[in-house]
Order: sequence, then C-alpha cells, then structure tokens
Amino acid sequence: MADQEVTEFLDRDAFRAALEQAIKGREAKNAPFSTAWANGELQRHHFARWAENHFHYVGPFADYLGYIYANTPATATDAKDFLLQNMYEEELADVRHTDLLIRFAEAAGTTRERVMDIDNCTAVTKGLQGWCYAVSFREHFAVATAALVVGLESQVPSIYRRQYPVLLEKYGFSEEEAEFFDLHITSDEVHGERGYQIVLDHADTVELQQRCLQLVRHGADMRFSYTKALYDTYVAPELQPA
Amino acid sequence: MPTIHFRTSGRSVDFDEGDDVNMLRAALRHEAGVPFKCASGNCGTDRVLVESGAEHLSAPRKRERELLGPELIAAGYRLACQTYVEGDCIVSWDPEQQPLISERAADALTKKWLSGDAEPGRGDD
Ligand code: FES
Repeated sequence: MADQEVTEFLDRDAFRAALEQAIKGREAKNAPFSTAWANGELQRHHFARWAENHFHYVGPFADYLGYIYANTPATATDAKDFLLQNMYEEELADVRHTDLLIRFAEAAGTTRERVMDIDNCTAVTKGLQGWCYAVSFREHFAVATAALVVGLESQVPSIYRRQYPVLLEKYGFSEEEAEFFDLHITSDEVHGERGYQIVLDHADTVELQQRCLQLVRHGADMRFSYTKALYDTYVAPELQPA
Repeated sequence: MPTIHFRTSGRSVDFDEGDDVNMLRAALRHEAGVPFKCASGNCGTDRVLVESGAEHLSAPRKRERELLGPELIAAGYRLACQTYVEGDCIVSWDPEQQPLISERAADALTKKWLSGDAEPGRGDD
C-alpha cells in the first residue's frame, strides 16, 4: 500500500501500519553510501566526509525540537515532556551527542573545525537541514513529530545496527571512538517508539493523519537522498577510471 | 512466535520469529511497566533480572558492561534499553527501583556550570 491515500480516519493499529509503510522502500539503510559502509567498501576519509555532513543534519536536532515544543499546546503534556527530554538527552544528559560525533570524526582524520564549518557539507545536506527547520517551525506538532521522529530518527537503529559492528571489526575503530553509533542504536529505539505514540495520540483528524503520512514519506526521501548524495559526491568519483 | 514475559506486570509480548526486538521498546509499546529514564545506558533504572532465556539476548553492550559491572551481569541482570531479544525470555524487576547512578542530573549540571568549564559550542548552522 505504498503511498496509498488515506481517505478515512484510521484506528491506532492501522495508522501505525500506514506510518511504517510510508518509510518502506525509502529506508536510508539501503542508500548506496550505507550499503558500501556495511559491506566494508569505504575508507577512513569517507567517514570523515560523512561526519562533516552528518553534523549539519543532527547538530541542530534540539533546535528543531525546540520549535516543535513551542508549537505544542500546554494541554499536550506528554508530547511536551517527550520533546524536552529528547532535547536534554541530545545536549546535556550525557556527553553532548555532537561531541561524540566529533570524537568519531577526529578518529576518522578530520578536525572539529572542519566538521563545524558548513562549507564542508554538500548542498543536499544543507537542504535536509533546511527541511528539518521548515517542518519543525511551520507544521502542527504531531505532523512535525511524525516527520522528524518517525520519518527520520526512528530509522537510526536499523541503519546503525548494520554499520556499527563493521566500524569495529572491519574499519578498526575502537568502541570509544564509535560510541556515537552504539548510543543511538538503543536511545533512538525509545525515541522512535515514543514518537509513534505521540503521533498516534495527537493526529486526531483525517487531515492530520494524511499530512503525517505525507511528511513521513518526504522525511524518508530526504534522508535517502542525503545518504545517496554522500556516495555520489565522495565515493563514486574515486571509482571512475582516471 | 517468541514471547517476552514481563513477570512483574504480568504482560507478555509476542514478536515475529526471526526478528529481534529492543526489550525496553517492546515494554513501552505494550505498556509492560518497566521503569526507565535515559534509554541510553546511563542510569540503570531499567535493570531487569533475566529469569530464563538469557541465551536469547544480545551480548551486553559497552555502557551496560560499564554500568552494571561483572557481578550484576553474572547474577543475571540486564538493562532493558540496551538489550535485544530474539527468543523466549522471562524478566522481572523491583517496581520501586531507583537509578543506579544516584546523583541528580540537575546537581551534576550545576556543578559543571559552577566549575567554569566552558565547553565549545556546537555551531548554529
Ligand atoms: S533507561 Fe537508563 S540505563 Fe536504560
């Protein structure tokens, strides 16, 4: 039922199934950079380029959530609490998540300065960042949660569960250097699940359900395109005959 | 179909053969009542005693090894947030249990700010 139009209000189980279906076929774990990574075909400098891009997508995650938080009415206490806790976990509860990303980036051979300089990421990465800002700023809080948490964040465990073991076994990173990935495998299981619950609870009209599904599709498309662009920009040119 | 039985709350959660599921996620989705806070291996609030089926659980991850330590792991404890399940198991917990890390996060933050350790920003692009 890919891209099937929703014309009537779906119950919780049907809506959850539709949200899951909206990601299918667009999963970033199947983008060429992800498969090359999982198959052990990348080199260390590719991870440096990945980190220089990934920072500009996930670095402002608390900012995106902050916009959604401000758009969430005080009556939706569960949603507000989830958003605040998610922001706190990104930034303060633990080692700051972007610092874990930079630790990995440095192990891959780049620097904090290069990672934080937005000139070092692709145009597609900048587009993904801009899309995240626009959605979080402008959409109903249930729709924005669907887009960013269900469409993007909930994909993380399935991506990193394939990529993390090869980082240790094939590419020779230590557990310490690759902690960014191990942390997100498990924490995003719970963020993803709580995100689903907020969307199921608060997308309470047909129109909101339709919009959630549409933006989950867009979000998954954005993440796929971002990951594909990494391959096209940094890996494919090295494969061309000189 | 494999089943996780959450004995303390009496909930059972089935999942498809061949799948492996995060134990805390399954507990949340099916309202099994496992206490938790951080979901990232930092607090230990979600420790469970594995009564059977330990062989169907993923190996302890880095943060779980560090937080629980060899004694608790040898005694059969796991952190639900860090554990993936691929077959039948039964787990229980103390419904009143508190985090293993007792310092309140707010206290730790206050200490950090008062220490004057300025951290590099994360950029604003
Ligand atoms: S919930 Fe904190 S360690 Fe699992």
